[in-house]
Amino acid sequence: MSRSWLSASNLNRSYDHGPNRVHAVRDLNLHIARGEFLSIVGASGSGKSTLLNLLAGLDTPSSGTIEVDGVMLGELEPRELARYRARLVGMVFQSFHLISHQTALQNVELALYFSDVGPTERRERALETLDRLGLSDRVDHRPAALSGGEQQRVAVARALVKEPEVLFADEPTGNLDRKNSEQIARILMESHARGLTIVLVTHDSEFAAKCSDRTVTMDYGRLVSENDSPRVRHDTA
Amino acid sequence: MTLRDGIVLATGNLWRMKLRAILTITGVVIAIGAFVAMLSFAAGSHGYISNEYQELGLFNTMQVYPGKSSEDDGESKIPTLDMNAVDRFASLSGVNVAYPFDDFSVDAMFGDTLLETRAQALPVAAARTKLFSRVLAGRLFDGDEDREAIVEESFLEMTGTEVADSVIGERIVLAVRKPDVERALFHVLSDESGELGEALSRVVPESLGTADYRRRIMTGTLGGVARRFLEGFLEGGRVERETLIVCGVVRGAGSRSLRTAPILVPAEVARRMSAGTIGTDPAELYAALQSGRLFVGEGGGDGEFPRVTLDLGSRANHDEIGDSIEAMGFEVFSYARQFEEIRRSYLILELGLAVVGLVALVTAALGIVNTMFMSISERRGEIGVLKSLGADEETIRTIFLIESSIIGLLGALFGILLGWIVSRVASIILKIVMEKQGVPPIDVFATPLWLILLAVMIGLGVSLLSGVIPAARAARVDPVVALRSN
Repeated sequence: MSRSWLSASNLNRSYDHGPNRVHAVRDLNLHIARGEFLSIVGASGSGKSTLLNLLAGLDTPSSGTIEVDGVMLGELEPRELARYRARLVGMVFQSFHLISHQTALQNVELALYFSDVGPTERRERALETLDRLGLSDRVDHRPAALSGGEQQRVAVARALVKEPEVLFADEPTGNLDRKNSEQIARILMESHARGLTIVLVTHDSEFAAKCSDRTVTMDYGRLVSENDSPRVRHDTA
Repeated sequence: MTLRDGIVLATGNLWRMKLRAILTITGVVIAIGAFVAMLSFAAGSHGYISNEYQELGLFNTMQVYPGKSSEDDGESKIPTLDMNAVDRFASLSGVNVAYPFDDFSVDAMFGDTLLETRAQALPVAAARTKLFSRVLAGRLFDGDEDREAIVEESFLEMTGTEVADSVIGERIVLAVRKPDVERALFHVLSDESGELGEALSRVVPESLGTADYRRRIMTGTLGGVARRFLEGFLEGGRVERETLIVCGVVRGAGSRSLRTAPILVPAEVARRMSAGTIGTDPAELYAALQSGRLFVGEGGGDGEFPRVTLDLGSRANHDEIGDSIEAMGFEVFSYARQFEEIRRSYLILELGLAVVGLVALVTAALGIVNTMFMSISERRGEIGVLKSLGADEETIRTIFLIESSIIGLLGALFGILLGWIVSRVASIILKIVMEKQGVPPIDVFATPLWLILLAVMIGLGVSLLSGVIPAARAARVDPVVALRSN
């Protein structure tokens, strides 16, 4: 494995939930190489999404550090952290999180509003990405007029249009049928083949094994196992 | 994110909730409309007065009135506002022209119309001041000895003339009656009925020591003497006539201290006519009786004046001139000072009206706050998405502030339009009412550029202030919580 590009050291995230203290992530250490496809699997409530949010700079750890390409996220000012999300990070969510009153094109363009990209280039790149994901005939459709699979592809396009260094996908196939899930998997694998680092959170071990280079399992906020996926074993054999 | 991007995003958000946005904007429109309409009235009437002052040169005009009695060496002394005083005023530094309001009763024959009216002496130097600059037709005098007359607007009304130009070149014959006191006394003595002699013979000299008896004699017997004297005075005397050519028509400067007589004649003509005259106006007769002028034959032209007008230079020191004249024992009225007081009154009026308008704006602001909070609560998920895409707190805050600013700006623009429409309608109604009451219609509503800019700034300012707290709350939304709850 190549040198670590993104690493989490002694990472903890806990928060109060009513009278209880919830430890979503406990003493977690993780290293991700540039260009790696890592899957994080585990049961619901195991802390996968919390870990993803921490790595994406959306959430702040209670303790521990996250280092991305030599930069400690904890040391960044809020504005710098936002720039990290704007330029290096792409995110895909289980429930798509598209802006309902905007068209597919506008949703994808939105990702470039915070990256100092001009309007013309924004439009060109958004159209190109939508076209690459087979949505060129859906650019003017609002999310409500798209199928679940199409909505998720728009969400993926929105994440990819920024040409991020890393894509964090949180259960991207959780709301999709098999056919659409396979389509998303193919898109992720193609992006990975182009050199994109992907961190995939899923409860579907089979999906994780099929797509990723490496799979880690979380339970009660800890990493409990780490395996190279069959695809990697097959590739390296 | 550029400002343009922010406006695009904010406009899209407002468009999505257009009904709510329109209702909120309507609140701002009504508030700004009320604000503009009310201040339009204040600005219009203030502007009208200011223009009048400017046009008539009142900022450089002073009026001097006879002073009140002052104690001097134990004796009461009232300074006389006569030609000597006028000359003293004229010699003061900064005074361009000093001229008295010197009017007298005349019978004016214009065409077939005989009018009992008043004429006023107007020196050429005075005619050239701004007070007489509003020439409706013709021109002013060229010299103090010209046999010409200028008529004031009210003269046209008296003669039923509609077109001012039509009187230019027409002849006007002015006649004054020179009093003859001897004839009046003769009228008293030639009491053929013998009533006067009989009444005088009934006077008991011993009883004149009693106040009641004296009063009865004065109001009864001597009252009859005065009546007969006045009859003789009014019916007797010789008539002095002047035939003048009307050379111009001017618009009157106003009422009270700016009042001019319907007919203005050159100073020399006036001197010839008014010398030794006493008008038939009861008040004037009484004044002449009281002063003794009636019996010594002095006319109004040689006596005291009710007021003297001073035209000052543009760099004149008003306070210094005013103090000098007051030191002479006269009373001074400065239009510049009066305008300052009017300006202060209007400032208070404008502030009052602005406060009323601002109360409406506060209500509209609460509407904006409510709209923004509702918007944030409905768009928490969207805020989470924007943060996940790289928007920082400042960007989120800016988007929401732009939204509230758009509400304020649209509200201000349409509010200005509404205020303008309301003020126009009110102005039209007011003019109709003025015309019906015989008052010259004036426009007391104005929407100057400063008012438009002020309304835009207030609309924007209030909406920005209304958006500050909601925008700050939007900026603080936790993206993880927001995305989870979306």
